[in-house]
Amino acid sequence: MILPMAKLRILGPRARLPATIEALQDTGLLHFAPPAEQSPVRTAPLSPRQARRQRQLGRVLQDVDVALESIGCSAQKGAGIDGSVPSLARHARLALRVRREAQGLTERLARLEEERALIERYRPFFAAFRALEAARGTMPDLIAYHVVLRREQAGALPSLRSALGQILGDTFELYTQALASGEVAALLLVPRSASERIDRLLAETRVQEIPVPHGYGSTLADAIPRMLGRSEQLPGDLAGARAGLEQLSRAQGAALAGTRATIHDQLARYDTLAQAGVTEHAFVIEGWAPQAAEPRLREVLATRLGADVVVEHLGREQWRAEDAPVVLSNPKIFRPFEMLTRVVPLPRYGTMDPTPFVAVFFPMFFGLILGDVGYGLMLATGALAVHYRSKPGTTKRAVARIAGACALFSIAFGIGFGEFFGDLGRRWFGLRPLLFDRGEEVISFLMLALAIGVVHMLLGLVLGAISSARTAHPRAAIGRGLSALMVVVVLIAILAALKALPRAFLTPAVVVVLVTFPIIVILEGIVAPIELFSNFGHILSYARIMALGTSSVMLAIVANQMVGAMGSVVVGALFALLFHLVNFGLSLFTPTIHALRLHYVEFFGTFYSPGGVRYHPLGHWTPKSETTA
Amino acid sequence: MELVWIALSAALAIGIPAIATAWAQSRIGPAAAASLAEKPELSTTVIIMIAIPETMVILGFVVAVIIMLRGGGAAAIG
Repeated sequence: MILPMAKLRILGPRARLPATIEALQDTGLLHFAPPAEQSPVRTAPLSPRQARRQRQLGRVLQDVDVALESIGCSAQKGAGIDGSVPSLARHARLALRVRREAQGLTERLARLEEERALIERYRPFFAAFRALEAARGTMPDLIAYHVVLRREQAGALPSLRSALGQILGDTFELYTQALASGEVAALLLVPRSASERIDRLLAETRVQEIPVPHGYGSTLADAIPRMLGRSEQLPGDLAGARAGLEQLSRAQGAALAGTRATIHDQLARYDTLAQAGVTEHAFVIEGWAPQAAEPRLREVLATRLGADVVVEHLGREQWRAEDAPVVLSNPKIFRPFEMLTRVVPLPRYGTMDPTPFVAVFFPMFFGLILGDVGYGLMLATGALAVHYRSKPGTTKRAVARIAGACALFSIAFGIGFGEFFGDLGRRWFGLRPLLFDRGEEVISFLMLALAIGVVHMLLGLVLGAISSARTAHPRAAIGRGLSALMVVVVLIAILAALKALPRAFLTPAVVVVLVTFPIIVILEGIVAPIELFSNFGHILSYARIMALGTSSVMLAIVANQMVGAMGSVVVGALFALLFHLVNFGLSLFTPTIHALRLHYVEFFGTFYSPGGVRYHPLGHWTPKSETTA
Repeated sequence: MELVWIALSAALAIGIPAIATAWAQSRIGPAAAASLAEKPELSTTVIIMIAIPETMVILGFVVAVIIMLRGGGAAAIG
C-alpha cells in the first residue's frame, strides 16, 4: 500500500530558520516542497557569505571523496564530526594530506607492480642467458648480442650461423638454448669492430635483440643480476607500500568518512535553506511526512525550538492537486515483490500500489506455467540455498523469497496436474491429476487460463475505478466500473450464444450491453470502445499460460521418452537428465518473463497510474543514501 | 487427404505468426541492445519488450492446437 501522507506547514521567526532545518534534518522525516508560485512568500537566496561557504564545502568534499577513494574507504560510514569552521578547516587539511600521501603510495605501488611485471617477462631469459654467459668465459674484445628467436624463426638458426660465418669467419661465438615457450635464446659474441655489420644482418633476418630495460645497466649481462636482485626486494617493497595504505586507511578512514557525512549534511541544509519561503521577519516551510510520523515530528520541534515554531497540518483539500511523495509500505510477506513493481515508475499518490496483487498473481502464473512437483522442488532447493547465503534486506534475499513463492505454487499446481518431471510421477508411483492432465486436456487448460485472465482483468478494472474515485475523478471511476460490467456481460452473452450458459441469459445480456455502451462513450469519450475491445485482447493474451504450460509438460515428457529411445538405458537416462535440466532452465526464464509481461502490460494497463514522486526527506547523509537518492 | 489439410492448416497457423514474431523481435533486438548500452538499468523493461511480440506465436500455437483437436487430427496422428 501507499502510506498516507500529511502535508505540514512550519512557521516561525526567520532567525530560527537554520535551527529548524537542523532539527528537521535530525528527524529525517520531512520531504520539502518549494513554495507554490502564487504563494505570498518568496524564497531567499543564500547570502554571499553562505554561498561562499557552500562553494568551499563543495571543494573540501571533492578532496575528501578523492582521499577516501584512494585509501579504499568510499563505502565507509562515519559518525559526523564537529561542524564548526575551525574543525572543518582542520579536516580539510587532513583530507589534502591523506590524499597526497595516498596518491604517493598508490603511484609507488603502481611503479613496483610494473617493475615486477617487467622482471617476470624477462624471467624465462634469465636462466638461459646466465648459463650462456657462464659458457662465454672471459673474452674482453668481444661484444655480446642477446637475441631471441621466435618459435617460427627457430628453424632459421643454421642459416643465421652460416651468414655469420660468411661475414666473420670463425671469429664469433653463438650459444643457444631452447626456452619452455618454444622460443630460442641466443647469445652472440662478435668482435667489437664487426658490430655495424651484425646490426644490419640481424635487422635483415628480423632477429630481435632483447632490449635492456631502462635503469638496470647498459647490457643484458649487467642487467640480469640486478633484475634478479630487485625481484627479491620487490615483494617486501610492495608489502611496505600496501601496509602504508592500510595504515592510512585505519588511521584516517573514520575521520574522513565523518567529515564527508558532515559536509553532505551541511550542503543539504544550504539547499533546503534556499527552498524555504521567507518574509522580512518570518519563515515558512512546507513539506510532506508520513501521517503516522507527524506526532514525532511535532514533538521534536516543540522540544528543540519551543513555542516559537508552529506546525500546521494542511487538510487534503488544500493540496489535492499536488503530487505528494510516495512511500510503499507492505506487509513483510509482500515486501520482496516490491522489487518487481519498482521496475515501472512509482504509482502516483492516491492511486493503488499493485505490490499485494503482484505478490499473489505473479507466483500463481509462474506455478501454472511450470506446474510440476519435481521442477518445483528443484526451484525450492535453489531458493533455500540463495536465502541462506543472502543477508536480510538485499536483492538476493528478495529474489530467494520470490523464487520460494513461485516454487510453492509450482508444487501445488504440479499436484493438481499430476506432474512430477512430466509423466515420471505417473509411471513411478501412480501420481494422478487432481485437476486435469495438461498434456491431454489442452482445451480445459485454455479455459482455465482465459478464466484467470478474466478475473485478473476485472480486478484491474475495479482497482482502476477505486483509484479514479480516490483521486477525485468520478467520471473515470464510473467509466472503469462500467467497463468491468461490460466485460462480464459480453462474456455472459458469448457463453450463452455458445450454449455454455442457458440461452435465457442472452437477451438480457445484449440489452445491458446496448444500454451501457453509450454511457461509457459519454463518460470516457470515443477512446472507451477501443479500450473495451483491447480488454478482450488482453484477456486472450492470458492464453500464453496454457501455451507455455503445455510446451513445458511436453518437453518433460519428451525427456522421459529418451530413456527408452536411445538403445542403451544409461545413455538414454543421461540424455533425459540433460533434457530435464535444459527444460528446467527454460522453465525458470519463460514463466518469469511472461508472468511479468501479463502484469506490466495487461494488468497494470487497466489501473496503474505511474509518475509518483519518490519520498526523499531531509535527513543525515550515508554512503547508501547517495546511491538510492 | 483430410489429415494433410488439417496438419497443413495447423502448421500455417503457428508458422506464419512465428515468422511475424521473429521479424518483430529482430527489429526490437537491436533497439534494445542500443538502449541497454546507454541505460543498463532498463534490462527488465527491455526483456519485457522483447517478449511482447511472442503473443502472436502463442496465439498461433493455441489456434494450431484447436485446429488439431477440433479437426480430429490429433487422434488420427496419435
